[in-house]
Amino acid sequence: MYHKLEVKNLSAWFNEKQVLKDVSISFPSNNVTAIIGPSGCGKTTFIRCLNRMHELVPGARVQGKVLLDGRDVYRDMDAMEVRRKVGMVFQKPNPFPNMSIFENVVAGLKLLGVRDKKVLSERVETKLKEVGLWEEVKDDLRKSGAMLSGGQQQRLCIARALAVDPEVLLMDEPTSSLDPASTAKIESLIRELKEKTTIVIITHNVQQAARISDFTGFLYLGSLVEFGETKKIFESPKNPLTERYVTGRFG
Amino acid sequence: MMIVQEYLEKINALLIEMNEVILTLGDYVEDVLKDKRGGLLPLTTELCRAAQMKEEKVQETCIESLIRLQPFAGDLRTIATSMKVAYHLSRICRYLRNITEVAEEFSLADCETGRTLSLYREAEEMVQVALRSYLQRDLKTARDLIKADESIDQKYREILRDLATGRHSGACILFNGLAARIIERMADHACYLANETIYMVTGERRIID
Repeated sequence: MYHKLEVKNLSAWFNEKQVLKDVSISFPSNNVTAIIGPSGCGKTTFIRCLNRMHELVPGARVQGKVLLDGRDVYRDMDAMEVRRKVGMVFQKPNPFPNMSIFENVVAGLKLLGVRDKKVLSERVETKLKEVGLWEEVKDDLRKSGAMLSGGQQQRLCIARALAVDPEVLLMDEPTSSLDPASTAKIESLIRELKEKTTIVIITHNVQQAARISDFTGFLYLGSLVEFGETKKIFESPKNPLTERYVTGRFG
Repeated sequence: MMIVQEYLEKINALLIEMNEVILTLGDYVEDVLKDKRGGLLPLTTELCRAAQMKEEKVQETCIESLIRLQPFAGDLRTIATSMKVAYHLSRICRYLRNITEVAEEFSLADCETGRTLSLYREAEEMVQVALRSYLQRDLKTARDLIKADESIDQKYREILRDLATGRHSGACILFNGLAARIIERMADHACYLANETIYMVTGERRIID
């Protein structure tokens, strides 16, 4: 099994406070990997280290390696290249409020210098179709993205992230603010997207992790307690701490 | 909303009730094998239906807990195995009823049933030990029980060899042969039940013959 993204001995700090402790994990290509753990265990920090967003926070520091196809994202690549190849979808849908649906989708492409209108239009249609939004918005492409429902906004954000053809997609609790129907659509979309992309998703919803992921890692107090196939983690975890967490005994 | 522990307590209570039916059925089987008593089929059929209804109740409770709680890990394994344990207990009830059914077909007055009775008592003890190991999550007892199945198989083969000696009547050969076969299967289900205990406690699935 090829591992698109590999994390080796990763530690992270906010000033003096260490929030990640020597985490090593390999993400299988074209699979969905869920990172679960209680609030404050370092999930968001971890995922933000993968595309160098952690370094944007004043006082933040990282040690260890994050390898994308064997290249160290901190030493062998510049931050722009990393963030193009490793896209991110956030907890709350955050379409650019002053941009239309069309402009939201192509925002990343324009930053990369793509100006050809035909290319941009084709990309908008392709990506909105990929996220299942095209039929719902094809007549309103010039309307503001902020006018869409929460679930539609999140799918728009996913289309925006996909527009630059990322090789890895990071998702930080992408359905936590959505209703069940919108959540179901996003979860179904995640399952489809893994055909083209390697997906890492953070969720505090263990049922969701069980539903959509192929592999699961359990993070606790900044350390990776257990990592393995999702079926194993949720049926027969090896570590008693994982067992206690997934059965709701703590967290 | 009920928590996992409350569901498990409800399920275990139903399993214990199923076992009480097994014990009652067992008394009737003793009557057949020891005292050659007949006419028990209506009673055992009724008891068997009661056990099946309890099995249905276990399945319903397990499914409700899966829907409501979406349990994982040890909780998930316990719920999943409870459904199988209820099935095995229900099958054991049917086996016991089947012995009384076979007894209706033959005149047992002159039959020597001591070996079959002895086989039954051993199998019945296996069922009780298997269920105890499940309810108490006793891994060692469950493992030992599976190993002990060979003794039942051996005694079953001895009964068949004895029946083939020509010193028994046709009716006795048929009754003892059929009853011993049913009892041997009953012991197999005790082993399956013990195997569920092993999976529930360890998460390891093993295939047993």
